[in-house]
Amino acid sequence: MSARQDRRDKIASRAVQIGFVVALIGLWYFGTAYWGISRILLPNPVNVWHELKDVIGSGEFLPDLRVTLTELAVAFAISCTAGVTLGYLISRSPYLIKVFEPLLAGFYSVPIILFLPLYVLFFGLGPGSKIALGTTISFFPIVLNTIAGFGYVEKIFITAARSMGASDFQMFRYVLLPAALPVMLTGLRIGFTVALLSILGSETIASLEGLGHRIVHLAEAMETARMFAYIAFAVVIAATLNSIVSSLERRAKRR
Amino acid sequence: MTDAAQLKRALIRHPGLSRLAVIAALLLLWEIAARWWIDPTFLSPPSRIVASLGDLFNTKGIPAALQITAWELAVAFAISVVVGLVVGLAVGLSRFSNRSLMPIILLLYGTPQITILPLFILYFGIGPPSKIAFGVTHGIFPIIVTIVAGVQNIKPILMTAAHSMGASRWQIFRWVIFPHMIPTFFAGMRLGMTGVLLGVLLAELYVSTAGIGYFTQLFTQAFDPTKLLGLVSVLAAMAIALNEIVRRAEVHFGRWRTD
Amino acid sequence: MKTGDVAIRVRDVSHQFGEPGEAQFVQALQHTSLDITRGELLCLIGPSGCGKSTLLNMIGGLLTPTTGTVEVGGKPVRAPLPRDIAFVFQENALFPWCTIIENVKLGMVFQGVPKAEQEPRARKALEAVGLKDFMGHYPAQLSGGMRQRAALARALSLETGTLLMDEPFGALDEQTRMILGEDLSVLLSTTEKTIVFVTHSLGEAVFLADRVAVFSARPGRIKEIIEVDEPHPRKPSFVTTEKFSRLRNTLYELLHEEIRKAIEQAATASPHP
Repeated sequence: MSARQDRRDKIASRAVQIGFVVALIGLWYFGTAYWGISRILLPNPVNVWHELKDVIGSGEFLPDLRVTLTELAVAFAISCTAGVTLGYLISRSPYLIKVFEPLLAGFYSVPIILFLPLYVLFFGLGPGSKIALGTTISFFPIVLNTIAGFGYVEKIFITAARSMGASDFQMFRYVLLPAALPVMLTGLRIGFTVALLSILGSETIASLEGLGHRIVHLAEAMETARMFAYIAFAVVIAATLNSIVSSLERRAKRR
Repeated sequence: MTDAAQLKRALIRHPGLSRLAVIAALLLLWEIAARWWIDPTFLSPPSRIVASLGDLFNTKGIPAALQITAWELAVAFAISVVVGLVVGLAVGLSRFSNRSLMPIILLLYGTPQITILPLFILYFGIGPPSKIAFGVTHGIFPIIVTIVAGVQNIKPILMTAAHSMGASRWQIFRWVIFPHMIPTFFAGMRLGMTGVLLGVLLAELYVSTAGIGYFTQLFTQAFDPTKLLGLVSVLAAMAIALNEIVRRAEVHFGRWRTD
Repeated sequence: MKTGDVAIRVRDVSHQFGEPGEAQFVQALQHTSLDITRGELLCLIGPSGCGKSTLLNMIGGLLTPTTGTVEVGGKPVRAPLPRDIAFVFQENALFPWCTIIENVKLGMVFQGVPKAEQEPRARKALEAVGLKDFMGHYPAQLSGGMRQRAALARALSLETGTLLMDEPFGALDEQTRMILGEDLSVLLSTTEKTIVFVTHSLGEAVFLADRVAVFSARPGRIKEIIEVDEPHPRKPSFVTTEKFSRLRNTLYELLHEEIRKAIEQAATASPHP
């Protein structure tokens, strides 16, 4: 394809994307303003915007956001520590890898959200059950990726270092760690994303506070415009956090 | 060789045995903890759970709830696969569609759909349709993305070779693209199944009048860990079985793959 | 540049994988003995699976012989001796997360060279192999030939008495191999290192070596040792002389039947799963 055609294509695809978004918002606006779609089911975008400004301006979102972020931080901290440590220890022996990796992978394939009722029974409706679920779900990608990172370092690097007289500590610091880092960081990013999703999810299903709960609360109160505002807010928060984590991962993987 | 040494040798030769040993050890730990260390209000030992499974299935409404869930899963999966396949092929085969639509698809894929679960309930009601819908939105995106990637990844040299032998566009699709896509399709189905399971179960746990969500809430509020764990185990087993079926299909149809 | 005394003494060394009678039993190397003089460049050449790399790894302490002993510089070899033996591998063994100069310095960190000496030694070695302008590059940014030059620089900077090279140019195209071979000959003529060099290439063996040990097919043993009596550094024109052709033909005749045997062995082995 010639450079000119390529550029035309690029502009055309951009146009389609922008057109899509504009059409969507347009339909939304006209649907609620003029075509009689029930305001309760689908609030007018202008109203949603007003509610959003109110939510942010009044700081009403702060307590819920704080709860959600705290749950996320604690869950991720625990799963990180446990996942990396356990993953490293398992990776030290090919036999242990053969035994535990399929077990962990198999366990991960079960929809762990099923554990939520159990955690609610055990920890109650407070942050404890959310943290427990977040930790459980994010533990697996972290431990599996850590095992993959440390356990499958290309043999030639270990042989070369050994031939040059590297001590065990030198081997870890200069060969194993840098070799494992890219895969491990991917695991941490996935773990973070999954922790965030599962915490929002468990807040939606069974909670007394947090962003997920707030959305449910507003849905039950039929305050759909404000609910939409909170949904938009939550989506933006999630997107921001995820892109921060992704760019951290990219930065650390620079080489 | 002594018995202990023979056992050790067997374990080393067969990691699978060690795995079973680990699972057995964990079950044993669970049993002991539940019987003697932890308050029975919160945890039940596996032995009691297994023993009460019969009771569980006799509880009024449970078999029906399981059936409804299975039904929701099946319908959501079918819709995801069909729509996902069509959209995936349409977007993947046309370079223009790919360029323009793919970013939108990826954007939708990346949003935390859980935040709009209450909306789904609002729109589709509290019965199966909302569960199916939520399952579809979770299952459809991995399928689309996988299929688009599969189409893109066909080695150009294969297309060149076919073209050099005089194949028409339709023949290239039928004999190069389509067969190439089959393993990818099954890989997509595996991911789609995971998504559908997640979506349907999330929706069920959120609100449900006769489905399993109703019963998980009932057992939680009644502090009946035995029945709760039993139900969760049955669901987990169902999920594992479904995943395994799709996974085996993927392995079987992907036999020629070298990657 | 032979200085007479025996630098590497290989006595009655053999290697096998698995136990006799098991399905996966392989006699990689039959009982082999060899004396390598200080300062000489000995090539090991033979068909695939003949045990030449196995022998090299045993000399370097990366592999323990099933029978026999190895001595390097009078010391018995049971594990790597980083102060005495340096390796250049065929595969890209440069650490991809380090720049070229960091790679060279890291080798010295492992060996235990004082920090102050690392930078000047690394620079010197990289300049010697012609990579003066690429010290801050990452291996991925360099061509295959340049990467192997860097690997050579890393080995040279360790200032060991012995250099073991396992098909260092095996992954490169023939033209790059030619140039690297010529440069290597010039470089090595200035050192007094004892070098053992494994290769598949007949021309490379004749061009570089003082002696060439020809291996038989598996189970491997040294079939014959050919002498190449030609002063170092070898001139590029050496390749066009009659002496070169004669030596190369001798190697060809010795190797040809072994290569055929090795291919037949590989064909009767079980197919890939």
